[in-house]
Amino acid sequence: MPAPAPLPRALPTVAGQLDMELIARLTQEFATSFDVAATLAKAVALVTETVEAEGGALFLLEDDGQELVCRACTGPVDLRGLRLRRGEGIVGRAVEENRCQLVRDVSADRGFNAAVDARSGFRTRSILCAPMRVQDEPLGAIELVNKRRGDGLFSDADRHLLQALASSAGLLVLNARLAARVAKQERVRRELELAAELQRSLLPAAPTPRFPVHGINAAAYEVSGDFFDFFTLPDGRIAFDVGDVSGKGMNAALLMAKTSSVYRCLAKSEDGPGRQLALLNDDIHERATRGMFVTMVAGVYEPDSGRVRLANAGHMPCLYRARDGTFRRIAAEAPPLGILRHDPDEALPETELELAGGALYVFTDGVTEGCAEDGRELGIDGFERLVTEHGHLPPAERLETMVGRFRQGTFRDDVTILVVEDGERPVQVGVPESHPGERLLEMRFPAKADWLKLVREAVREATARCGGRGAVEDVVLAVGEACQNIIRHAYAGTPGGEIVLTLRRKGCDLVVLLRDFAAPVDPSTVKPRDLDDVRPGGLGTHFIRQLVDEVELLRPRSGVGNVLRLVKRIA
Amino acid sequence: MEHEVHADADALVVALRGEVDLEHSPRARAVLLKAVEDAASVLVDLSGVTYIDSSGVASLVEAFQSARGRGSQFALVAMSAPVQRVLELARLDRVFTIHASVARGLGRED
Repeated sequence: MPAPAPLPRALPTVAGQLDMELIARLTQEFATSFDVAATLAKAVALVTETVEAEGGALFLLEDDGQELVCRACTGPVDLRGLRLRRGEGIVGRAVEENRCQLVRDVSADRGFNAAVDARSGFRTRSILCAPMRVQDEPLGAIELVNKRRGDGLFSDADRHLLQALASSAGLLVLNARLAARVAKQERVRRELELAAELQRSLLPAAPTPRFPVHGINAAAYEVSGDFFDFFTLPDGRIAFDVGDVSGKGMNAALLMAKTSSVYRCLAKSEDGPGRQLALLNDDIHERATRGMFVTMVAGVYEPDSGRVRLANAGHMPCLYRARDGTFRRIAAEAPPLGILRHDPDEALPETELELAGGALYVFTDGVTEGCAEDGRELGIDGFERLVTEHGHLPPAERLETMVGRFRQGTFRDDVTILVVEDGERPVQVGVPESHPGERLLEMRFPAKADWLKLVREAVREATARCGGRGAVEDVVLAVGEACQNIIRHAYAGTPGGEIVLTLRRKGCDLVVLLRDFAAPVDPSTVKPRDLDDVRPGGLGTHFIRQLVDEVELLRPRSGVGNVLRLVKRIA
Repeated sequence: MEHEVHADADALVVALRGEVDLEHSPRARAVLLKAVEDAASVLVDLSGVTYIDSSGVASLVEAFQSARGRGSQFALVAMSAPVQRVLELARLDRVFTIHASVARGLGRED
């Protein structure tokens, strides 16, 4: 065999230019595809073509750097998937030594593994292999076999070219991997966004501002493990529930969606929150992932009576705020759902309470564990303070304002608040009893100035009806003055008080009883002002005594409040 | 309750209409006190008042006292029956200056 031609010392300028063009082209190709496998295939094809080899293969270090795996290949033999131990073969040597390997004649090199040739039938004569490395980190190698031109053997010029190409290829591989990772993260984020959207769509909105139930949910991350729900039942009662699923993320969100939906069905077909939660517990216990559980409050509100029935399974206590501003906590009487096996026929314990114009708050621990503006944990006390401070706002606005107040602090958990607010009771007018002519009118109404006109009209009619024509205006005035006194003095501006008025005819007498529930008034302090003392206010008592025949302040049998008894003789 | 204020010569005539009860008397009070502030002579036309209670009377008294303190004139005119009755009951009919009509109150003939 003739001696190989001497290698040129420097690369021809034309070849050098080809270099840069190739690299630029490769980079551009990759930027459009983001497909790692396709990019590698293109890279190895281009390199093989440029250096004019018969075949080329790109190996990547995988499995924590222990193996070299062929990920792209071009030429007569497909080596993709071929695995070499680190350091094995010419490729392994190139990576280990971080040096380009030029094996002009493989028959003379002991490192050469002839096994692949034996299997494929291909005859390897010359190998050129360059390591790929980025910033001191080995990535793999590109191996070329059998120069196509001349004597079929690679030259130093080929080696220089491949080295340059290999480092660019290394960068490409790195970029491709990073891009793939970013794309995956994007997908995951997008999925979470969709899940959050779905969750939000499951939360109901109150149909009108005056609807008795309102809720608010603010998730700490994309998806929430908290939920609330409410809906009107066919008979007009309103069912409501609040829940908190253990854990966070997709798992919790999915269990939340399921629990909320299953509860909706149960509330429509089963009676009573205690029974509904017992059945729900059964379902969660059986089918939820081990270790997941739900704390939940379920209840039903009767708008006509203001009564609430509720059951609390391991959840935070509910908070009842009465019309006079006092608070009462209603604690859980059962463990969270999904933890214990429980006979589904045995209902969970229920609590019944009358809202009586007050409001019931149900919330999750994200609220009380949130921070108040001073940075300290809010706690139930802090929550009560917020409720008191914003109690004058309409319910939906109140919840938003409250959440706004403490969201400013550190905020570690999902926040959910639901409020059931008992509206102003309408005037309750009594039906005349079985003795007609006896009880003419019974009214229970809020002790507020804007109700007085209605009361006057009713009293006017009732008095006229029992024949007291001449006395009508006097009775109306007297009742108006008496109510004024109760509003201004007995309740002294405290909101939420009520008055019960009864108007009866007893023989020739018209008897009016006015009952309030304020602190008992000492009758001796109730006396008419001296009329010569012309001063605003305080004329009420005098009026009354002038208008009716008898005025008496009584203490009711139950000891609560006062009763004013007026008697007017009618013809 | 509705109210209307208009000037006539040097006086302000405040007309109240409807029911002057606990719900509405705060507004009556405000209107009357402002009128007394704005003019040296105020006439309160009560011909349209269908109902007045002690709180409504109190607002009249307060305006009357404010006028007296300033040395201004303050009179009730054209009282309706309900107002008449209530003022009599409170024995305030002798306290206020009362005219039978707005014209009389302004010193003109009917």
